[in-house]
Amino acid sequence: MRKLSFGRAINEALDQEMGRDDKVFVIGEDVAQMGGDFGVTQGLWKKYGEKRVKNTPLSEAAILGIANGAAMAGLRPVAEIMFADFITECYDQLVNNSAKVHFMFNGTVTCPLVVRTVNGAGFHAAYHHSQTPEAWFLNVPGLYMVAPSTPYEAKGLLIASIRNDNPVIFLEHKLLYDMEGEVSEEPYTVEIGKAKVKKEGKDATIITSQRMVYLALEVAEELSKEGIQLEVIDLRTLFPFDKDTIFDSIAKTGRVILINEAPKTGNYVNEISQTINEEMFEFLKAPIKRITGLDTPTAFAPKLENYYLPGKKDIIEEVKEIVEY
Amino acid sequence: MNLSKRVLKELYYNMVLIRDFEDMVDKYAKKGYIPGFIHLSTGQEACQAGVMLTLKETDYKFPDHRSHGVCLLSGTPKERVLAEIFAKKTGISGGRGGSMHILDIKCRNMGFNAIQGANMVTCLGTAFASQYNNTQDVTAVFCGDGTIGRGEVHEGMNIAAKWKLPIIYVLVNNEYAISTRVESVHSYPKNLSDRAWGYCIPNEVIDGNDVIAVYKASAKAVKRARDGEGPTVLELLTYRWQGMFSGDPAAYRPKDEVKIWKEKRCPIKRLREKMISDKIFSAEEVDELNKQSLEEIEGMLKYAIESPEPEPQDALKYIYAGKEVEGR
Ligand SMILES: Cc1ncc(C[n+]2csc(CCOP(=O)(O)OP(=O)(O)O)c2C)c(N)n1
Ligand SMILES: [Mg+2]
Repeated sequence: MRKLSFGRAINEALDQEMGRDDKVFVIGEDVAQMGGDFGVTQGLWKKYGEKRVKNTPLSEAAILGIANGAAMAGLRPVAEIMFADFITECYDQLVNNSAKVHFMFNGTVTCPLVVRTVNGAGFHAAYHHSQTPEAWFLNVPGLYMVAPSTPYEAKGLLIASIRNDNPVIFLEHKLLYDMEGEVSEEPYTVEIGKAKVKKEGKDATIITSQRMVYLALEVAEELSKEGIQLEVIDLRTLFPFDKDTIFDSIAKTGRVILINEAPKTGNYVNEISQTINEEMFEFLKAPIKRITGLDTPTAFAPKLENYYLPGKKDIIEEVKEIVEY
Repeated sequence: MNLSKRVLKELYYNMVLIRDFEDMVDKYAKKGYIPGFIHLSTGQEACQAGVMLTLKETDYKFPDHRSHGVCLLSGTPKERVLAEIFAKKTGISGGRGGSMHILDIKCRNMGFNAIQGANMVTCLGTAFASQYNNTQDVTAVFCGDGTIGRGEVHEGMNIAAKWKLPIIYVLVNNEYAISTRVESVHSYPKNLSDRAWGYCIPNEVIDGNDVIAVYKASAKAVKRARDGEGPTVLELLTYRWQGMFSGDPAAYRPKDEVKIWKEKRCPIKRLREKMISDKIFSAEEVDELNKQSLEEIEGMLKYAIESPEPEPQDALKYIYAGKEVEGR
């Protein structure tokens, strides 16, 4: 199969959906001529014109305001927020508007919009360009959040998100943009709400997403040499998360490690942990473990940033602890 | 431009209807029939009646929190507006929103967003959709003098002007944001809406209790927007007779001030006197309109009171399109 980078796979999804449905439009800062800060929307302005690829000033609230109003009026906006950290500037529109449109209108109006945004540490970009925002939205019914880890899934999940009638926050990890992978040329969807078992194993389950999936796979590979068989689950959709896949795995392994880049307190994975605790307690052979960022902002200096992020060593230690528990 | 008899009659009737509606809502709120916050627009009827009569059903409307009149005049069955305020299942939003959130996509009432100022960017989206789909529909957004302090106002006006979006900003300047007087917290040249100059948006400052002036200015702004010439800010100078909400004693205002507005500047009395002295309507004809309004209110009230409350499980509906949410 043909190979594409993660960024180009997203670009192809946008292109194909804009070609299929003239209600789809793209809006954000520098998304037109320049093609976005990370080049993801390149070529769309030339192909679809000013009408459907809208550059805005630095006005995140307005970007989401336009997306909300247009979605309520029947269009299908795809908004780009340059960095996930800036989503605080349009947080109100997402939390108090997008998420509630369907409810407020008593089911007569939907809010089919996608917010694409760039998250994640490891880019030495310091605390205002490195955050991972899932927990900020976890407590808001009405939103979906999707976070692919491969080019194939990036394309399929974005197409599914654009076609979905709910507001979807679509996370793109900045360190994955250049990763290459096989991507079918024709349009296709990957189902929202379904996780994927990336590697099967019987001793413990690692549940994670985005870039941390690769770290987990490396650890799994290494530990298999020592006879520990880890199962690795890529969530792909962060919420609603795929309970079935998670529970099936736990029924088999009885041990769980949750990995996420954001700070530990109030981390998104805590919700998964609590759900497992409530519904799968009798299968557990050891306490559920979290490996997360520290309870600090993400610092700039590579030494500081690396200390902040979950590392291979942290994971290996925790795995050994619960396997021997 | 002299307004036709039909237009004058409608303006008058609509103002009276809003007044009667607000008085009735106030009464039933105090009697305990209505839960939650109620913001009354008594005294500001001309702002709503004047603007609404210049709009079509396909135009998008974003009322503010003090806009029962906008919701009544959008085209929604009026009894369902009241039933919503009464927290009934038959309310236009099934009792999910109440007084502050009366929405109806059928007549493009996009509802109030209780995060003040949020609609000042959401309104860009519907206006953009009209432009995108090449329709002539405009978007009218209501906003108070206090709310103009929100950052969204700046983001919104800048883009609306640059993209020439078909928006009518209805800035209802009633001098107060809760207890805070407008000039005590805002800096502006002469008028609050003169800020629009900074965005190259024309503004007009109008006596908001002169419904004819409001109607004419709004008609002009609507035409400008339909013709693709972009947004206008209408600053309507008015005053709320009631406190911030039904039951607020509004001790922060001088009593004389309220008295002057009530006695000397009532928008309804003003039009009534004009229509009679200009011999457009006789006093009897005007009285008949007042009577009709009360009858209409009676009908709505009966419907709202007799309607059932929502089922608790209705709260689980329409969280997501195409996905159920777990109940208790
Ligand atoms: C973002 C936000 N801040 C504060 C409030 C609380 N609040 C509701 S109305 C209001 C005053 C609004 O004043 P104005 O815009 O002048 O409208 P008026 O009540 O005079 O009609 C305040 C402070 C709110 N709802 N939303
Ligand atoms: Mg005010």
